[in-house]
Amino acid sequence: MSAIYTLGIDVGSTASKCIILKDGEEIVAKSLIDVGAGTSGPQRAIDTVLANADMTREEMDFVLATGYGRNSLMGLADKQMSELSCHARGASFLFPEVHTVIDIGGQDVKVLHIENGTMTNFQMNDKCAAGTGRFLDVMARVLEVKVEDLGRLGAMSQKTVGISSTCTVFAESEVISQLSMGTDKCDIINGIHRSVASRVTGLVHRIGMVPEVVMTGGVAQNTGVVKALEAELDCPIHTSPLTQYNGALGAALFAWQAACRKSR
Amino acid sequence: MSINVMLDEFKEIAANPKKQLEHYKGQGKKAIGVLPYYAPEELVYAAGMVPFGMWGSNKKTISRAKEYCATFYCTIAQLALEMLLDGTMDGLDGIITPTICDTLRPMSQNFRVSMGEKMPVIFLAHPQNRFDENGLAFTVAQYTNVRKKLGKIAGAEITDEAIKNAIKVYNRSRAARREFVKLANDHCDVVTPTKRSAVLKAAWFMSKDEYTEKLEALNAELAKLPVCDWQGTKVVTSGIICDNPKLLAAFEENNIAIAADDVAHESRAFRTDASETEADPMMALAKQFADLDYDVLLYDPQSAKNRRGEFVANMVRESGAQGLVLFMQQFCDPEEMEYPYLKKALDDMGIPHIKLGIDQQMRDFGQAYTAIQAFADVLEMNK
Repeated sequence: MSAIYTLGIDVGSTASKCIILKDGEEIVAKSLIDVGAGTSGPQRAIDTVLANADMTREEMDFVLATGYGRNSLMGLADKQMSELSCHARGASFLFPEVHTVIDIGGQDVKVLHIENGTMTNFQMNDKCAAGTGRFLDVMARVLEVKVEDLGRLGAMSQKTVGISSTCTVFAESEVISQLSMGTDKCDIINGIHRSVASRVTGLVHRIGMVPEVVMTGGVAQNTGVVKALEAELDCPIHTSPLTQYNGALGAALFAWQAACRKSR
Repeated sequence: MSINVMLDEFKEIAANPKKQLEHYKGQGKKAIGVLPYYAPEELVYAAGMVPFGMWGSNKKTISRAKEYCATFYCTIAQLALEMLLDGTMDGLDGIITPTICDTLRPMSQNFRVSMGEKMPVIFLAHPQNRFDENGLAFTVAQYTNVRKKLGKIAGAEITDEAIKNAIKVYNRSRAARREFVKLANDHCDVVTPTKRSAVLKAAWFMSKDEYTEKLEALNAELAKLPVCDWQGTKVVTSGIICDNPKLLAAFEENNIAIAADDVAHESRAFRTDASETEADPMMALAKQFADLDYDVLLYDPQSAKNRRGEFVANMVRESGAQGLVLFMQQFCDPEEMEYPYLKKALDDMGIPHIKLGIDQQMRDFGQAYTAIQAFADVLEMNK
């Protein structure tokens, strides 16, 4: 029996990610382009992942799109699904014992409750950038640091600085005010991480936290936010080197299921 | 007439309130704008005028109303004012401004000041202590004031007989709408969420006798159909208003039907009838208001028991729905304050729900669409 190849595409608000799976188990190739919905990112991510796998679209048995820009790929994908379902699936693949997934993406936050590998409940943030990746982008710009350096810089903090978790605009004003008072940038960054953690914790408690807890999405790469969340939740949080690909991984897994059904 | 033709007629009316207003004005009728909530429309009908519901708009942008409104006023109220200022509702001969929530109370004065000499603005304050003798007397006094002012606009006093007749017309209309809600659940393959919304929304823009006749004809045709074997999922909707066609289309795309609703713009507006045997029709209307129950906006002497939350949760169970979608209107304090109690009742009964933050100026539905699609997945897994 020949192998089944499936492609999962996650078109987020700030990045486009792809994964090709072989037989629903083996990651053959992956790609990530740092621009998302409404840009050339999705097509470039697809071209890259196919090139990395040395395969063509026609060799894919099923293609499933997810993420904020999933509907824009309906000419190319066989099906689209919400990123919540895909994140649940991806996290369950990486961490079979997971019950709670915290996904902080570019413009929203999702908390998923998982039972036996399936999402049974979820919460999303209100229409507000506070606590999202966008919040960290804005703060990094004000602080004149790279967003990928926030985790490392925050770890050097010597004291706690309180930053509001209510509103990105107000928090930005607070950061500017702290900078003008000469507060150390590392302390401010630590405060920002705690602010994100505080916001997300409220969402987690709305749904009820059940260990094991997994964090996915781009912000999971920020060790400062992960540590702040662990402290707020008083619970260890698992992350994976594939954290940014988790939605695409879930999409590729659902695609594999669909391909198996199709081939029966 | 086929069911689809009838549904299309309701859709046309619901989507074109200005055209509907012009239609009545062309017949030489007077029309009264009625803001949410619980204005005694029967008095407008009894005066020989057409009540015209004013629940904002999904198509307009707040511009001129900003001159009068704080930014935290809900978009329903602000867009109602916008339509009065931009000429959309110029055909109205007056408006009634109920004041049952904290936004509508000060807003009533914004309406009065902004309308100036343009049209009469009739203030209506419902009592929260509405059950006892004093509460009923207060409601009667308020309604009597509304009656007098409506009579002045109509050019003739409103008689008791006319009010008694109006009560009968409205009771019949409410019964037809309750029947339609049940039929829409049984035939959710035909009455999709968008069509269901249009039928119920059209009631706000039609004279009730005319509307009821149309709706009873639709109900009769729906009743002839076999109950559908729905393979998708079903939800109960809750909130102030959920008439946005794009959001409702997301339900349809994800095979979600609406089994019943706890929506102010829909079923909360026709749950309770007025007595047709009460000697004083004004007291009948006051008692009808007192009889309203399980409502976010109304005082419940037993609120500690969470009767409302349990009522809504039971509605989900009894209607055959698998979950609830709450349309949380931005800046709606009563709905926000009540939400934890509703959530508790739903959680206690193991009923999944989602809360969608909405307002009438929303033009991007990406996040809401994602939540609806994911909720459909959850409900499907739970079936």
